[in-house]
Amino acid sequence: MAQRFVELAEKAVKAAERLGANQAEAYIGTSRSFGIDVENGSIKSASERRDAGCGVRCVVGKSIGFAYVTTLNDDDIDEAVRKSIALAKASIQDPDFVSLPSPEASYPIVRGLFDKAVEGLSPDDAAEMIVRCVDAAKEPITKRRNSIQAELSVSSGTKAIVNSLGVSQSAKTTSALIDSYITIKENGDQTSSSEYQVSRELKGIDPEWVGRTASENALRNLGSKTIEGGEMPVVMTPLAVATVIGSGFAGAINAEEVQYGRSYISDAIGSQIASERLHIVDDGLLKGGVGSRVFDAEGARSQRTEVLKEGVLRSLLHSSYTANKDKVSNTGNAYRPSYAGTPMIATSNFMIMPDRGTLDNLVSEVKKGVLCMNTGDRPNMTTGDLSAMLMEGFYIENGELRHGLKSTLIGINMRDLLKRVSRVGADTRATASMVTPSIVIESAKITSG
Amino acid sequence: MESLAQVAIDAAKKAGAAFADVRIENTVTTIIEMSDGVTKRSMASRLKGAGIRAFIDGAWAFGQTADLTPRGVRSTAASVAKMALATHNRIAERFDINGPVFKDEVRMKVKRPFEDVPIDEKIGFVKMIDDQARGFDKRIVNTRTTYGDMWTELYIANSLGTMVYIENSLPRISSTVTAKDGGSRQRAFKSVGVKGGFEEMETKRAQTVGETSSRLAIGLLSSVAAKGAVTDVIMDPVLNGVMVHEAFGHACEADNWPAHSTVLEDKVGKVVGPEHLNLSDDPTLPSLRGSFAYDWEGTKTRKRHLVKKGVLTELLHSLESSSRLSMEPNGAARAQSFMHEPIPRMSNTFMEPGDWGVDELISDTHEGVLLCEFNYGYTEPAKGQFMFQASYGYLIKNGETGQMVRDVSIAGQILEVLAKIDAVAKDFQMDAGTCGKGAQMVPDMSGGPHARIRAVPVGGM
Repeated sequence: MAQRFVELAEKAVKAAERLGANQAEAYIGTSRSFGIDVENGSIKSASERRDAGCGVRCVVGKSIGFAYVTTLNDDDIDEAVRKSIALAKASIQDPDFVSLPSPEASYPIVRGLFDKAVEGLSPDDAAEMIVRCVDAAKEPITKRRNSIQAELSVSSGTKAIVNSLGVSQSAKTTSALIDSYITIKENGDQTSSSEYQVSRELKGIDPEWVGRTASENALRNLGSKTIEGGEMPVVMTPLAVATVIGSGFAGAINAEEVQYGRSYISDAIGSQIASERLHIVDDGLLKGGVGSRVFDAEGARSQRTEVLKEGVLRSLLHSSYTANKDKVSNTGNAYRPSYAGTPMIATSNFMIMPDRGTLDNLVSEVKKGVLCMNTGDRPNMTTGDLSAMLMEGFYIENGELRHGLKSTLIGINMRDLLKRVSRVGADTRATASMVTPSIVIESAKITSG
Repeated sequence: MESLAQVAIDAAKKAGAAFADVRIENTVTTIIEMSDGVTKRSMASRLKGAGIRAFIDGAWAFGQTADLTPRGVRSTAASVAKMALATHNRIAERFDINGPVFKDEVRMKVKRPFEDVPIDEKIGFVKMIDDQARGFDKRIVNTRTTYGDMWTELYIANSLGTMVYIENSLPRISSTVTAKDGGSRQRAFKSVGVKGGFEEMETKRAQTVGETSSRLAIGLLSSVAAKGAVTDVIMDPVLNGVMVHEAFGHACEADNWPAHSTVLEDKVGKVVGPEHLNLSDDPTLPSLRGSFAYDWEGTKTRKRHLVKKGVLTELLHSLESSSRLSMEPNGAARAQSFMHEPIPRMSNTFMEPGDWGVDELISDTHEGVLLCEFNYGYTEPAKGQFMFQASYGYLIKNGETGQMVRDVSIAGQILEVLAKIDAVAKDFQMDAGTCGKGAQMVPDMSGGPHARIRAVPVGGM
C-alpha cells in the first residue's frame, strides 16, 4: 500500500513540474478509524471512518500555492495540482523562502509507532474494552446518581511524502484513545470529571484505570466551594502542566511566531528565561511516543532538540522555512494534522524532564495554596498574560487537600510563571504530544467568588 | 444526487436499519493568508463525499465514503447498517426516530459567486487589507490577514422520506496585528464573517477590517493587565453573546438530557433567571453566518426561545433528542461536514434587548469594569461551570469609564450567573464566531445588548 501512495505522490509531483512548478511536493494521507461511544453507562453508537486525500504544494519562483482533495482519484489529484500551480502563480513572492527540504543521507529508526493489535482490533474486542472501562467507573460511584460517558477510538494510517528535490518517504502509524466522562449528583450538588489515555499501542491504554480514576476524581469534586483569593502557590498536575507550560510555552518558541515578533519570547537564545529546575527537550525519536516520527511533515529527519537547559533557552522549534530564514539547522518540527493543510510548526514529544517526588509529595509541601488538576486555558501568546480557570481544582491547607474549588481563576504572566517553578515532580505522564510531570509555581494571583 | 441518496437509504434499510439518513456534500474552499505583505498560504480544496447513518432500536452507526458511485454508496450503507445491528444487542434504552418529512430545494442567490471571482482579485483584496493594517501606524510590527470562502452544496435524505437540498456560501476576512512600543507588545484580532457571495466583502465594515484591528492594537499598548477581583461587569454586545453561548447555550443542547450531562436537566419549564431575561437562538435571521433553512438532518429550522421571561422554555434538538424527549423538533442538528454526525448545536445565539440606555447602565455602576469583545470561552455543562475571556475593557469608577485593561477572564456557574444579570440595555449587535463541540467546528454568531452582571470573579494578574 505505502509504495502505491509514494507512486501516486511522485506522479503528482511530476505533473506539477510539467505545468511549470520550480519545486513541488505531494503529501498523501490515508486512515481508517473505528470508534465506539457510551452514553449514560451503555454502548450507543459505533462509527467507521475511511479517509484518504492528497495535498499538493507548488513553488513558482518564490511564490507558493497549495491545494488538496479528499479522494485519491487521478482526476481529483490533477485538479489539486492545477489549482496549486494557479495559486502559486497568483501569489505574492516571499523573499525569505529558500527551498523545500532536500532528502537526508539517512533517516533515524524510531520504534513503537505501529501496533498490529490496534490495526486489527475487532469491533467486539473494542466493545469489550469500553465495557471494562464503564464497569470500573461504576464501582466507586454506585451509591450516587451518576452518568457515565466513554469513548474508545483506534486508528491506523499511512502517509507518503514526495518532493521534487528527491524526498520520498512513507510511514505507517497507529493510535488508540480511550476517555471517560463522569457526572455525579448528590443532595442538589452536581459535578463531573474525566480521564483519558492515548497511545500508539493497544497495551498502552488501561480501560479500568481510565474509568476508575475519572470516577474517583468526580467524587472528590463534590462540595466544591470558592475561597478567599490572594497570592499563593499553585501545584499543577501533569495534565495542567501539559496545557499551561506544554502548549503555552511550546507555542511561544515556535520560530515563526518569534520571527514575526508575535511571541512573548524574543531574542532570548542563551538567556535565563526560566527557573533552573526546568529542563525541556522536544524529542521526535522517543520510542512509542504519540508525537514521534521518522520524518516531519515536509520529509525532514526527526531529531531530539534541547529547548531549555537549567532554565536557559537553547533552541526554538523550526521548520525548513524558519530555519532557512534564521540560517540555523532545521529541528524537524514541521507538522500537519492531515493532507488537508500546509505545514506549520508544532512539538513532537515536548518533554519536561522529571526531578523528584509524586503529586502527593508536592501537595504536602504547600502550607496554603491551590492544586490545579486541569484547565482549558492558554496564555495570550504575545503578552504572556495567563488568566486561567481551574476546571478542576482543590484548596490546599497544611499540605492536605481541603475541598474542591469552583469559580476560581489563576492569574500570572508566563515569563513569571517560568521563573517561579520551585518544584518539579518525578511523576511524568504522556498526553498526546506532551510528556510532563507535576510542578509547583511559587506564587500566582488567585481570584475566587 | 437524489438517486444516489436513495440508493444509500435503500441499502441501509435492506441490511436491517430501522432508520437511515445520508448527507452528500460538495464543498469548495479558498483560503488566502498574507503576513507583512507576503503570501503565506494560498489554499484551495474540494471536499466531496457521503456520510451515512443507520439506526436500530437505540443503536447508531456512522460511516463515510468519498466513492460517490452507486456501488460505493451502497456498500458503505450496508456496512454501516451491519455495524448498527452488531451494536444494538448492547444498548440499554430502546427508542424510535420520528420526525416531520420535508421535501425542498433552497438555492442561495448571491451576486458574486466565489468561483466567478478571479484569484487575483481575492489576493488583491487581502493585500489591500494587509497594507491598510500595516500602514495604520508605525508601531504595527506584524500583520496577518486571512480571507476564506466556502461554497457548499448539500443533499440530505432520510428513510422517513425527507429529501432536502441546501446551499451555503460563507466568506470571511480577518486581520490579526501585533503592535510594539518599547517593551510593550500587544496583539489584536478583528473579523467580518457573513453569509453571502463575494459582494459581502465589499461592505465598509469588511473593507476597513485592517484599520479596525490596528486601531485596537495601538489602543492596547497603553492598557494594563487587569487585577483579579470579584466585581460588577458590564458586557458589551459581543461579549454578552459569548456569555449566553458559553454559560447557557451549550447547556440547552438536548443531547445532554438522555446523557444526564447538564445542570439544567431538571429545569425545563422552571425559572432560571430574572423575569427581564430572554435568550434566543435563531437560524432564520437573514444573511448571518449561523443561519440555515434546514438543519443537517433535513429538519426545517425556526427561532428557539431558550429562556423566555426567565423561564427555560426550549432546547436545541436533533431528531434523536426530540424523539426521546417527546418534544417538538426544531432543526438544531448540525455537522461540520459529511465526515461527521449531526448533533444539537447553536446557530445565531443572543440575549434579547432590554430597556436600559448604555450610558445609563455605565453611570449606574459605581465600581466595576466594562468588558468588550472576546478571545475565547468554554464550558462544562455537566459541572455547570464556564469561563470566557474578553479582549479588552475599561475600568469603571463612579459611573465613568477609565483605564483600559486587557485579556480579562470571567469564571462562573451556569445556575448562578443569570440571576446576577440585573440590567439589560436596548442596543443590539451580533458578531461572527466558530464553535467547537466533540471535535466538530461550525460557523455561528452570538450577540445581544450591553448587560450588567453583579459580583463575578474576574481574573487578572
